[in-house]
Amino acid sequence: MAVETEEGMLVRVQQENFSIDQELQRVRARSTRIGGIAMFLGTARDHSKGHEVSSMTFEHYEGMAQKKLKEIRKRALQDFDIIEALVLHRYGPIEIGENIVLIIIGAEHRADAFKACQWCIDELKKITPIWKMEYTPQGDVWVEEHP
Amino acid sequence: MLKTLVSGVSMLEMPLAEGAQVKDLVDSLHIQYPDLGELLLQKKVVVSVNQEIAHWETALVESDEIALLPPFAGGA
Repeated sequence: MAVETEEGMLVRVQQENFSIDQELQRVRARSTRIGGIAMFLGTARDHSKGHEVSSMTFEHYEGMAQKKLKEIRKRALQDFDIIEALVLHRYGPIEIGENIVLIIIGAEHRADAFKACQWCIDELKKITPIWKMEYTPQGDVWVEEHP
Repeated sequence: MLKTLVSGVSMLEMPLAEGAQVKDLVDSLHIQYPDLGELLLQKKVVVSVNQEIAHWETALVESDEIALLPPFAGGA
């Protein structure tokens, strides 16, 4: 089995759940200069556009999805005054309340950590080939757009 | 998710002339699968070539990895 580099572990598309503590620790361990950490955790909600959702499935374009998340991390490190960025997204069947997506930004100070975190999740939604099917009482729906 | 528009298949083979561009592929798809063609023309479905979003003028060669991508919905 190939040993993942630490940098590879900072950008992942995976089926299994992730431990927020473990991922937070992964970012903290990157530098003792980190003084502020901002995090966005996206979870599966039971309502969407006024209808009930019983569960969901995410599909991704293998290869391109990873490539785009790597680009997002690289650009965040270039464009914001931050020290480290972690970007994870799950695929496959996900139950209500489960984790979907995690962004963690480590910076010296909070302002850039917050800004970079928001930028990363917004950019992820724009450029990453990931699709969501929601299971609802009215049938299965591919989600077309997100606020 | 586009499978319903292309008779349930997940992979297509399209003959294209030498020097073809993405717009030629879209034209061919439009003839064979009008509903899909409309979505492509409206940019509701975009074309990627070798895992990068392509433009109408992007040139295609035989070994290119081409994908048709519906609107993204990652995140939560």
